[in-house]
Amino acid sequence: MPDMDLSCTVNGRPVARRVAAHARLLDLLRDDLNLTGTKEGCGAGECGTCSVFVDGKLVKSCLMPAGRAEGAVIETVEGLAGRGPLTPVQKAFHKTGASQCGYCIPGMVMAATACLRQNPEADLDEIKERMGGNICRCTGYTKILEAVEIARDVIAGRADASVLDADETLGESYIGHNVRRIDAPAKVTGRLRYAADMKLVDMLQMQVLRSPHPHARIVRIDTAEAEAMPGVECVITADDVPGKDGFGVFVHDQPVMARGKVRHVGEAVAAVAAEDLVTARRAVAAIKVEYELLPGLYDPEDALKPGAPVIHDYAPDNVVKHIPLRKGDIAAGFAAADVILEHEFGTQQVEHAYLEPEAGIAFVDHDDVVTVHSPSQNITHHRHMLAEILGLPINKVRMVMSPVGGGFGGKEDMIYQGMLAIAAMKTMRPVQLNFTREESLVASAKRHPSRVAYKMGLTSDGRITAVKFEMLSDGGAYGMSSEGVMRKAAILSCGPYEIENLQVDTRAVYTNNTPSGAFRTFGGMQAQFATESMMDMAAERLGLDPFEIRRINMYRAGSLTHTQHRLDRASLDQVLDAAEAASRWETGVPSVRGALRGDLGGPDTRRPCTLGARLAGGPATAAATEAAE
Amino acid sequence: MNAITETRAETRRKRGRGMAASWYGIARTATIDRAGAWAELDDGGTVKIVTGVTEIGEGILTVLAQVAAEETGTRPEDVTIGDNDTARSPEAAHAGATRQTYMIGNAVALASRQAREVLFEKIAEYWEVAAGELRAFDGEIWAEGSNLRMSVADAVAICKARGTVPVGSASFTANGTGLDPADGKGSPWQTYVFGTQVAEVEVDTWTGEVQVLGLWAAHDVGRAINPRGVEGQIEGGVVQGLGQALMEEYVTVDGHAATHGFAKYILPTALDVPQITCVIVEDEDPTSPLRAKGIGEPALVPTAPAIINAIYDAIGVRITTLPATPEKILAALRVQQP
Repeated sequence: MPDMDLSCTVNGRPVARRVAAHARLLDLLRDDLNLTGTKEGCGAGECGTCSVFVDGKLVKSCLMPAGRAEGAVIETVEGLAGRGPLTPVQKAFHKTGASQCGYCIPGMVMAATACLRQNPEADLDEIKERMGGNICRCTGYTKILEAVEIARDVIAGRADASVLDADETLGESYIGHNVRRIDAPAKVTGRLRYAADMKLVDMLQMQVLRSPHPHARIVRIDTAEAEAMPGVECVITADDVPGKDGFGVFVHDQPVMARGKVRHVGEAVAAVAAEDLVTARRAVAAIKVEYELLPGLYDPEDALKPGAPVIHDYAPDNVVKHIPLRKGDIAAGFAAADVILEHEFGTQQVEHAYLEPEAGIAFVDHDDVVTVHSPSQNITHHRHMLAEILGLPINKVRMVMSPVGGGFGGKEDMIYQGMLAIAAMKTMRPVQLNFTREESLVASAKRHPSRVAYKMGLTSDGRITAVKFEMLSDGGAYGMSSEGVMRKAAILSCGPYEIENLQVDTRAVYTNNTPSGAFRTFGGMQAQFATESMMDMAAERLGLDPFEIRRINMYRAGSLTHTQHRLDRASLDQVLDAAEAASRWETGVPSVRGALRGDLGGPDTRRPCTLGARLAGGPATAAATEAAE
Repeated sequence: MNAITETRAETRRKRGRGMAASWYGIARTATIDRAGAWAELDDGGTVKIVTGVTEIGEGILTVLAQVAAEETGTRPEDVTIGDNDTARSPEAAHAGATRQTYMIGNAVALASRQAREVLFEKIAEYWEVAAGELRAFDGEIWAEGSNLRMSVADAVAICKARGTVPVGSASFTANGTGLDPADGKGSPWQTYVFGTQVAEVEVDTWTGEVQVLGLWAAHDVGRAINPRGVEGQIEGGVVQGLGQALMEEYVTVDGHAATHGFAKYILPTALDVPQITCVIVEDEDPTSPLRAKGIGEPALVPTAPAIINAIYDAIGVRITTLPATPEKILAALRVQQP
């Protein structure tokens, strides 16, 4: 299809552009007009980061062909305040601390603005429902909703506009004072530029060829056709790595691009840098790879069986790391127990789902310094590894941490910066790579799925006498942070309780699944989910209140931890008291007493929501629906 | 509503509560952690802070601005933070491990303190008082027990006119030790935090759907530098924990992702969020010049078990494999009530 001539109005200014037939409204705004406040989070209308107004209606610009904007009046986040003061919605977001990483925030501001334009009197339930199409991964939505309610009250005239600027009075210190986030104005206006929003003169676009197989030997890669295509500046494979290939947070077992074999679906095999994205994609499609399929491992228990396929030659038993803790004598501890509980627990593989997909730019500067801008959570370590990979002195590699649109541990792995740097060195031009959401999902690490076999012995008065804790985690195809995650899982395993006799083993193994790595809590969550479930089961068995059984066993000053570290202080008693008081907890044995509790439904709980209540006619109808059941 | 429908509604939706406690270590694990920072009291009473790591959303830039302002006697808006560049700033290692406030916050506090001490020494000479008499806050500097007072802007100009640029630098260290390979013995962190959460849920026994209606989260964070920022971290952690407890699951089939987009990978939205009550407990840490610890990761540790314990309280079903999807709850209820 030929390009189209398009005229529309954007943020009050007439715009005339020629756009490609495949261009989305999002591409027109970001690529042609440099209105990068509108973000691409998923490209599928699922996350809301690309929300704009088209003829006054809130639209996800990734779903709208640019050609359909002919004659339309478009408003983006940059147009809300223009060059004037922030709007009430933007000011309220600033006031409440509603922005964290900020990547979802332009879309959130647009959705909130749409909500209040539609109904300036919207109640909290309606606000939630109208904003339900916008995902935020950082804030837990609470401060966002608080902001929208404040803005509503100002817009509806129920509150004076001065509340938007009012802050608590400064006392004698800035420590402990709720200073407004200094980065918020840039985030609520869309002015902050993340790596995918940056443009450099003469910049190439990179695309990556990824493995379609979970485990296969690479027989041959033929890049000739791709390299011959007009507009293609370079095609790179493992053969183009100039130094010592391999990266990882603990063990450097992952090549920049697959070397000899692929170990998971989505692993980078080759990359293209071309004049534009379309050319780069076409070139990637023209690369031919011959694979010889290998038997795959998809279950961590299979990985430990004799004769299992070996994923990495250096680890013939497929074990990435085993961390043992031994304290006291568990046989004696279990012998002293009045009650022994044994249960198994499992946690799933979890995606970080930061709204900003991986993105970066690399270039070689005038002093031959290879420079990479990316939302890396660990520029120091990445600099070390990249210097080795490129065969350069450390001071010829420069890593710049661009604003991070959510990380949660998922941006600690150097999964694409190596490809960018090599392409920049080969072409001596800036190169940019922006992942799609699908690429981000298959190529980046996840939270380790784990299984825990738990045995706990207790005396009849609730004292834990011994624990045997065995965790097996699926590390996936590469080591990434598995070693550290297993270490932290072991250290924290049995919870904040003093246990004289314990035997803890945590293991991560290689499989051909999507790799697991660092994710907020680094194994602590998986381990303590099991422990805290066990504590409640033990409380029920022994007729104790859940708080009580924890107080009986809790760490105090002077306690010896699972790694036999003597604690100088421990604040568990304080947080137990605080949570018990704040929640108005009714003491009792946890034996399915929900129906009998008197502490439910207090003013600090929300009403259950009934989807579609507003569309069916508002809260009154919702109540009626409830009553009719 | 007649008596029969009322009974049916009661049978259908059941509520319960659960709790869970947790602990966590601050900064990098079982190793020596370190972070560096530079500080300069600059013209106009402004402050330059340079350190090698930046914001990932947790609010560290604001915390560092507060810390630098407090230590130099200026205001947060006077502080400019140069960050994030391995070629232009001192090493501060990585953005993770609940280490930003503790490691980088303390490095910035110490560097800023050093720059202020340089300024105080020169102004004490100028005023002919002891440096120990000087105080500075919110853009003003004064000598205790006197009427000597000027702006920090003027003080910096005087300091420079007397030949000295007020600069400071510092490195902060957390001394963890490695674990013994045989029995795991070791002191992995020098400071720990603790948390407890209570969840209140409603389970729809017809659909298996769980709604979390209330969540109370009490966390020790040491001294809270920015309480609102701490709340933001707790609320975000709780909702990630809720996602993992109830809906999120990255599924692969023979290594191929079956949840390859947000249409298949289900995340919590504004409609899923409970009313969250944060209780900040400040057990001030003597190993930390700021007396602060951290909150990033620990906020989500107790959420999933608190929710799962609450589901048990409501319907007597013990979910041992996450997530507690409607399908899993219905299957468990069928086993319970054949």
